Amino acid sequence: MKTRFMAILGILVLAFSVTVFARHQNPGRGQKTTKAIANKNAAGSGEQRFQANCGRCHVPPDSLSPREVKAVLQHMRVRAMLSADDEQLILQYLAP
Amino acid sequence: MNRVWGMLLGLMCTATGLWAQSDVPILSGAVAFQGSRSGGANAFQPILFPVLVAPFGDHWLVEARGEIQGFIARQDGTQGPYTGQFSDVLAYLQVDYIANPHLTVTVGRFLTPFNIYNERFPLWIANLEDTPITYVIGTRTSASSNGAMVRGVAVARPKWNLNYTAYASVATTTENLQSGRAAGGRAGIFLPQDGVEVGASYQRFLQNGGSNIAGTYVNWQPPPIPLDVRAEYAHSPGGQGYWIEGAYRFASNRDINTWPSRLQAVARVQQYFKGHPTSLDVLPSTNVNQFDCGANYYLPHNIRLNGSYGRQYSSAGNSNIWNFELTYRFLFPALPGEHK
Repeated sequence: MKTRFMAILGILVLAFSVTVFARHQNPGRGQKTTKAIANKNAAGSGEQRFQANCGRCHVPPDSLSPREVKAVLQHMRVRAMLSADDEQLILQYLAP
Repeated sequence: MNRVWGMLLGLMCTATGLWAQSDVPILSGAVAFQGSRSGGANAFQPILFPVLVAPFGDHWLVEARGEIQGFIARQDGTQGPYTGQFSDVLAYLQVDYIANPHLTVTVGRFLTPFNIYNERFPLWIANLEDTPITYVIGTRTSASSNGAMVRGVAVARPKWNLNYTAYASVATTTENLQSGRAAGGRAGIFLPQDGVEVGASYQRFLQNGGSNIAGTYVNWQPPPIPLDVRAEYAHSPGGQGYWIEGAYRFASNRDINTWPSRLQAVARVQQYFKGHPTSLDVLPSTNVNQFDCGANYYLPHNIRLNGSYGRQYSSAGNSNIWNFELTYRFLFPALPGEHK
């Protein structure tokens, strides 16, 4: 029981720490990220991110609708540890 | 079988009900047929791995994967008539909350994140049909955990990022939903410009008196060359070992898509050293050395052919291992009218 409690406590502390760290590091991140992406050549950058991350295991899909791509990327963000920026740039590359 | 299908069907119905106000769910996965000859015994396995992904807005995601497979082999190993049996397992059924760019909270049943083979290399990604000998260290029989997990990219920089996972799992003995009582974590550094990821895993197994399990991994894909190098080391009181695998596509770079470039040569070397296994371990009872070599051919439309030969050396007897595999990878919307 004590070990389980310590494990749950450890996870909560880690989650809290990461959340605090994220807020400290990226205030107002969502808006800034959107604007930054809009100003970049997102397609080229997205292709690079695709090759660097997704290309380790996958080839670009033949044809997917934007909403399918979004679902795939959310899945891969959780499973393959894509960063939030990578997810957004690859989304723009696969579903411009 | 009914339980797995029932859960997937229930999940799909839930996704359908909420689809109008969120994103489209997708049905993905693979169908495969595997054949093998090991030590003179033939076996054939038809496999279906359906994966359902249902996003609800930008923060919520429900994911599930079933594993339905048959095993057809001779009754007495190398003699007698062929008989078959089917098994079904729920690999994962998890709810993810993407809290912020650095944190995702997961509850439910999830793939145990020990090293990376279990999470990253399902059969349609793995370069060889057989899992490494040390695969069961940290993942045990079910390779899944029931509990909670936090994960994400703690630090993201253009030249590197740091990812992490921490989890706790309860012991479950329900048929097809087994898991061990354990807690652990993994941390890795990925250098995207160099195509290198290195990391380490730790797990405290909280059953059978408790034990510590640790592992490390390396994954390297040099960007200009279609080379794929993967390696893992895992240690447990029951045994330890490592494997290193290389795969090379016959192309001058990764972007070329010609018929020779669809051919991939693969080789893997692994060594296992027996420790003090307990009744819960599913590790070999002797030291084992093994090498495998083979080829993958990536046909159009997400079809892959794979064939390999391996030689296993152990005090229990040396043996040849022949494998072939045909895999079809599919992905389509779980609701009609979405695909373009």
